[in-house]
Amino acid sequence: MAIRNRIVLAAAALGVSALALTACSSGAPSSNDTVATGAPVAGAPSWCGPNQITLGLLDGFGGNSWRKITTAAGADEVAKCPSVTGYEYADGQGDTQKSIADIQGMVAKGVNALVVFPDAGEAMLPALRSAYQAGVVTVPYRVNPGGKDGVDYDAWIGADFTTDGENWGKWIKTNFPDGAKILFVSGPKGNSQGEDELTGMNSVLGEGGSYEFIGETPFEPTNWDPALTQQVLTSAIAKNPQIDVIVSDFGPSLVGALPEFTKSGRSIPALVTSDGNVLGCFWTDNQAANPDFKMMTVATGNDNVRLAVQYAVAKATGGVLPDTTVFDAPVFEDSVSGTPNPVECKADLPGDIFLSAEMSADDQAALLK
Amino acid sequence: MSATERTTTGLTSSRFTISRGLVTVGIAVVALFILSAVFAPSSVSQGAVLGMLPFFAVLTCVGLGQMLVVQQGGIDLSIPGAVSLSIVVVSRIPNGDSNLLLPAVALAFGLAALAGILNGALIGWLKLNAIIATLGTNALLFAVVLGISGGSPTTTTRLLRDIAGGLSFGIPNSVFFALAAFVLVTVLVKKTVAGRRFEAVGANPVAARATGLRVRTHQATAYVWAQLLYCLAGILLAGITAQPTAFQGNTYLIPAVAVVVLGGTSLLGGRGFPLATVVAALFLSQLDQFVLAAGVPFAVRSIIQAAALAVGVGLYTINWAGIRARLAGRRRVSAVT
Repeated sequence: MAIRNRIVLAAAALGVSALALTACSSGAPSSNDTVATGAPVAGAPSWCGPNQITLGLLDGFGGNSWRKITTAAGADEVAKCPSVTGYEYADGQGDTQKSIADIQGMVAKGVNALVVFPDAGEAMLPALRSAYQAGVVTVPYRVNPGGKDGVDYDAWIGADFTTDGENWGKWIKTNFPDGAKILFVSGPKGNSQGEDELTGMNSVLGEGGSYEFIGETPFEPTNWDPALTQQVLTSAIAKNPQIDVIVSDFGPSLVGALPEFTKSGRSIPALVTSDGNVLGCFWTDNQAANPDFKMMTVATGNDNVRLAVQYAVAKATGGVLPDTTVFDAPVFEDSVSGTPNPVECKADLPGDIFLSAEMSADDQAALLK
Repeated sequence: MSATERTTTGLTSSRFTISRGLVTVGIAVVALFILSAVFAPSSVSQGAVLGMLPFFAVLTCVGLGQMLVVQQGGIDLSIPGAVSLSIVVVSRIPNGDSNLLLPAVALAFGLAALAGILNGALIGWLKLNAIIATLGTNALLFAVVLGISGGSPTTTTRLLRDIAGGLSFGIPNSVFFALAAFVLVTVLVKKTVAGRRFEAVGANPVAARATGLRVRTHQATAYVWAQLLYCLAGILLAGITAQPTAFQGNTYLIPAVAVVVLGGTSLLGGRGFPLATVVAALFLSQLDQFVLAAGVPFAVRSIIQAAALAVGVGLYTINWAGIRARLAGRRRVSAVT
């Protein structure tokens, strides 16, 4: 019996260590790729100053195609400046403690500038502050970590989701001048992105006017989960005989849900959202059969990281700082006016690339292979 | 949990539960549909029901798998990894090419069988604790998910979307797959010799060993069958959502245990109740639809679902007769004094 127990124990220990090993090896591509050093600043953009630096790009969670493309965009922006002689990347894998350790590790290694996607929000603030106080140029971007520019970090390069809301509101006002019933779906309950977007829309459409938001306020929570989105939409369709516009801040998650309209014998209504190749192709395939299916998208914002990198590099190398610290996602597609772009679909490329990003569609596709 | 404990809740009480589980959950479903029709009529409209049924089908497959494991006194916490893995395999490997769908489906089932054998070996033969072993397997499966997909599955192929998301005779195709899974599980467990042995082992492993049954093999097989059912659920879910995430399986862990418990299968092992499990899946799916249509706030939705589960568990696990007897006794005592 004792021997058997020992065997079992040994097997268990083996299993555990195997698990631990896979946990380590399945980790991030924490590459030490060094960008080739070129002639200092010749032909480089103005934000690239003469001082040589190393830069670290830190992701709180790197595990989806949007993040992959964003990370590659960040690396691409870094490569434009020959003064950056070293570039490192770390993925927090959705683990706040690892994200903090990543920052501390990079500071200890002596990087000069950090660009951080602080997914965990305010939980990341102490780590950011200590990096800043250690003299590292610290630039969090996209998610607001709390704190103040120049006190806790150099600058937060946030996305202004209110602008997205305003752009959506303007489009709705143009295309539905007499009012509309609007269904607004966003991510988890209480996320600030959805709330800011609603503020933006309300500033254009006016509260309590002829534009009515149906469903839960400020938005119908879907956790950005396609399955839950589908359930929410099914229920909304059954409940509301009239839905004129659907607003969503994550368009691609609607692709599975929108056919619910067709199944109920109704036309897919107008859709106001953020872009994604799969969505463009869905529109292209379905617009003929659904007369009310108009679509407008804003850029999903992969290039937010570029502005953050520019700011960090400029600050650390002594270049010219960008004139804004706010990333405004531009309007990308409009199926009605065709400006700035008609709806785009690259049917031969993967669905989860973002044609609004600066990186070419083929490069993105190669990245996701 | 020792084998002797299990014998006390084994066949003696399960004679009741066969009717009790089905009757309870059956009444609950009927009551829920009546409530739905009265308070949120839109939740029983044709569109809403057609939208609910595919998710019911997925939950049915996952629930049946979990039931087989629970029957053997085990529990399988590797559902999130298993469902996510099959989603990633059938969406990533073909990468939009419908011709590659069949090999991808075969690969998904192959990987599921491997995961099941791993679970079965760890728990059936090495006698590891089921919670720990399946959690470990779950982590391994997610490692494979990330290895294949880098965390991002892609759009499902058009063929799978048509098969799993389409309708035949006005009924979502996924329902037929779930029905097939249900018939298969019922016939195998209830009508074959191996199935009867399987159930006997679950009811009382000590007695089963004494009669010469291969207890370990039966316990291990449960995990393999379960994985195959999770795999089917994942494939269906990939087709239904069209643009799944790599972590789509995460939301199925709790409901899978819930439907098994609501269906009346004892968490200590024993007889399994496939039909009651399916009806419980219908109950939970319609409950989702009902709270959505009733327009209650998101927070209350979660509470209602949790309350339904608590009531369900309470119905089966609390010794109501004992409580009634004790209360009656106390009353009698106070009446005398």
